[in-house]
This record gives sequence, C-alpha cells and structure tokens, in this order.
Amino acid sequence: MTIDNIIQWFQSWFPVNVMVLFITSVLIAAVVIFAIMAVNALVAVYAERKISAFMQDRVGPMGQGPGLHAGKWGLLQTIADTIKLILKEDIIPKAADKKLFIIAPFIIFLGAFIALAAMPFGPYLIASDMNIGIFYILAVSSFGVIGIILAAWSSDNKWSLYGGMRSAAQIISYEIPAALSLVSVLLLTSTLSMQGIIQSQAGTVWGFLPNWNIFNNPFSFLAFFIYFIAGVAETNRTPFDIPEAESELVAGFHTEYSGMRWAFFFLSEYGNMLVVCGLTVVAFLGGWQSPIAGVMEGAWWGLFWFLTKLTATIFIMIWFRWTFPRLRVDQLMNVAWKILLPIALFNLFGVAIWTLLVG
Amino acid sequence: MKNYFQNIWQSITTLLIGLGITIKHMFKARKGNVTLQYPEEKWPRPERNIGFDPKNYNIIRSKLHVDIDDCIGCRKCERACPVGCIKIDALKVPKETDLGLTSSGTTKRLLISRFDIDMTECMFCNLCTYPCPEDCIFMTGGPNSEKQPLDYEYSQYDRSRLIFKFANVTKNDIRRITTAPPVQQEIL
Repeated sequence: MTIDNIIQWFQSWFPVNVMVLFITSVLIAAVVIFAIMAVNALVAVYAERKISAFMQDRVGPMGQGPGLHAGKWGLLQTIADTIKLILKEDIIPKAADKKLFIIAPFIIFLGAFIALAAMPFGPYLIASDMNIGIFYILAVSSFGVIGIILAAWSSDNKWSLYGGMRSAAQIISYEIPAALSLVSVLLLTSTLSMQGIIQSQAGTVWGFLPNWNIFNNPFSFLAFFIYFIAGVAETNRTPFDIPEAESELVAGFHTEYSGMRWAFFFLSEYGNMLVVCGLTVVAFLGGWQSPIAGVMEGAWWGLFWFLTKLTATIFIMIWFRWTFPRLRVDQLMNVAWKILLPIALFNLFGVAIWTLLVG
Repeated sequence: MKNYFQNIWQSITTLLIGLGITIKHMFKARKGNVTLQYPEEKWPRPERNIGFDPKNYNIIRSKLHVDIDDCIGCRKCERACPVGCIKIDALKVPKETDLGLTSSGTTKRLLISRFDIDMTECMFCNLCTYPCPEDCIFMTGGPNSEKQPLDYEYSQYDRSRLIFKFANVTKNDIRRITTAPPVQQEIL
C-alpha cells in the first residue's frame, strides 16, 4: 500500500480535490508509521530490559499480577514507564536556548520517522516506493545529527556539548563505511529502489542458499558486517555510545531533558534501530523474501519474514549492547577510519570486479 | 601490516567469546538467576546466638510489643525509656471494679486508657523490657517468638502509622468504669 494506492482508492470513493486526498493519505501513512515506531519502542524496551537481565543473571522487570506490580512478568512495565514520562514535569533550564531546546527532540525524531517512509514492510506495504529509496534513507537518517547538536548546544551544559560533538563526529565518520558497503550492494542489484533491491534477491544461489546479497559473494558477506557495525555506531548504542556515555557525561546530549521530550529521544533511538536494522534486512538479508525460495511467499508471509528478520537483527543489536564495553573516543575513530573504511573500500573494489567477471 | 591484521583477528575472536558467554547466560537465566523477588520470597533469617546462656541476651531488636492484657500500668517502662517514646495514661478505677488478673496472677488496679509506642523515636535499646514486672513489654521474635512472632518489616506510608497504640479500651468503657459510684480509694 503506497500513498499513491491510497489516493487512488480514495478517489474512486470520494471524488474531491486531489490535494485534500493527498494530505489525508499522507496523514494515514504517517499515523501508521508512528504507530509502528511506538509499538517497536514499547516492545524493544521491554525486550532489552528482559534480555539484559537474563544475560546478567537477573530477572528483569517482574510482577506477580496486575496493579502496582506492572503485570505478569513485568509485561506492563514499558506502559507504566510511558505514563510516568507523560506525567513528569517538562523542565527547561534557565540558561537554555529555549526555542532550539524545545524543537531539538522532534528534529531527532523526524530523522528516524521520515526514513521509515521508504521502508518496505512487505511486498505491498511501503509508504512510498521511490526510485531512490536507499539514497533517501541514507540522506534523511543523518538528519538526526542536526537534532543532536541542537539539543547539545541549546542545553548550555558542558556535558551535553561534549556529547553532541562526539555524536556528530561519530555519526559523520561511520556514515562513510556504511554508505560504501551499501554501494557495494547497489553494484549487485543495480537499482536504488528498496523494492527493486529486494526483488533482485529472489531465487537461490549455490543451489541451496537463498540468493540474498549476504550470500551472493564473499565481498558482500564482509560488507554485511561492516554495514551492521557502522549501523550500530550510527544509532549511538553501546559499544559506540560515547555521546551519552553515562559514566563520563551523565547522559550526553539529553542530560537536561525530562518528561516527554526525553521520551522522544528514546523513541528516536529505537526508531533509528528500526531504520538501521530494516536497511540491513533489505540490503543484505533479502527483505521480505522467504529463506527457502518458492515456499511461504505472498503479501502476509512477506510481512512475517520481514518482521522476523527485523526482530533477529534488533536482537543482535541488544546482544551487542549487553556484551561489549564502550570504546574510547580515539579507539572509536580508529575503528572507523583505520579498519572499517579501508575494508569497505577494498570490498567495493572486490564487488566491482566480481560483478564484472561473474555477473 | 601483519600487526594490523593480527589486531583485527584478535578483536574479532575475543568479541565472539564475549558474545558466547552472554548468550549462554541468557539461556540458563532461569536456573542461575541471583535475584530474590523480595516481598514474595525472603532470605532465611540467620539464627541469632551470641553465645551467652541467658535468653534475654539473644534478643532481636525488631519491634516493641505489649501484651496489654498483662499490663498493670506501673509506668516503669515509660520511665526507663531514654528517648521517651512510650506514652501511658492509666486511670484509677473504683475499688470494686474488677479488671481481672494478669497471666502471672497479679491483680490489675489501673485502667490503661493509652499505651502508645512511637517506633520512629524508639532507638531499640531494649531498656524498657527489663524493669517490667509482668514481662508484658518485649521485642518480638527471638526468645519471645512463642509470645509474638518476629516482625521487622513494618514500614508504613505515613509516619503517624508508626505510633503503635496498644490500649484496647474504648471511650465508652472508660466512661462506664470511671463513673461508677464513687468509693474511697487507696493510694497505690
């Protein structure tokens, strides 16, 4: 269901002004994407707390029943947290740059939000299947950096500023290996459209493996890992969480935020996870393609496979977070410029040769 | 150059070892977890025995309890308390009124209209329990656990709820007993 489909469907029922129909269908898509982000945040926060607890031999949020106990096994914990965040006071520091301080969380949120517009959740479920989909997502997801710097600068707090500067440096550095490894995928698929990339991954390779880009050739196999590591760095999660490094910078760029504005930072962090994992799934893991070619295919199975792969990649991100210690600033830059970038360049070269020789 | 690749290889292998450890812990989380679900589960309380024979030395500083039926209103505990957290009002009653006997056989002569212990002020010195002639004020648990089970978790949402009121006579009782036909009274 792209926005164009919704407009056509509306037009057959209510023959009114096209502009009105356009705005309504865009709003419908926006509400759906917001709902996806909110549900993702709810589930992922719960999963993160539970998984981290299990990995550390704890039990995580628990409750013996409804009421104050946050539901059985703490299932209502995130909802309780949300209610708490909505009810909390929205504090704006006296010395803060008020206008920037107020809009900064929403700008960060916007970066993840509009990137999801080009995310194909199934064969027919995509808000807008544009022919430059992957380029659009890469361009738009860097939008969050502006929000982070705005938040850091307007807080008028040295910790926030340090966090913002680190974050900007980190995201800009890791964008390069990420983009380079995605370009090596584009060489294989020779299209920028998200649906086109997925469709080119149909069928099998070597007889039994699905023809996903990760299995296509050794170089794209390596590119998958480079993209995923760079993607984790772009979401500012551990082990690359120096922008908010709680033991050094209190909370980095969102030190001064509270209540609902802080919740938006959180929402956009999980939204960014969704974007990065979605892009990994689309570019390397075959999107909504079934792992066994010709079996369990169709619109709903497509949604199922996409969500399964998404969940798996998000789980790996959570697994990373609760295993690895944080990198130091210089180590972080070393990894980006001295290790990931050369390997990504080498990969790009390799994939180019491969496409030239093998096809 | 060799060093560079060795570095990468070493970091990859060690990171994989770390991932293996965490995932192993995740799958046996039910068995190996160290959390105690506090209000539902509790650690067993260790036996308290400081090695002396006298039972009173093995007292647990938990919570003061008064067997108000045994209290004769002598106010010795009130006087013994260093912080003054015990408040007793004892009323004289007409001589004929029968207030019953305590468990050790002493005749009760005073009506306890108020016996409040403020546990927010109590410093758990246990000094009030020694002078009591009827052994009716004591710390719960320990050697007294037959009389009163151990109770050390009595936190409340309001500070005033930590003032424990032990007197069990109502205002009606007080009016009925003290307004009985006046009789010449002995002074204690």
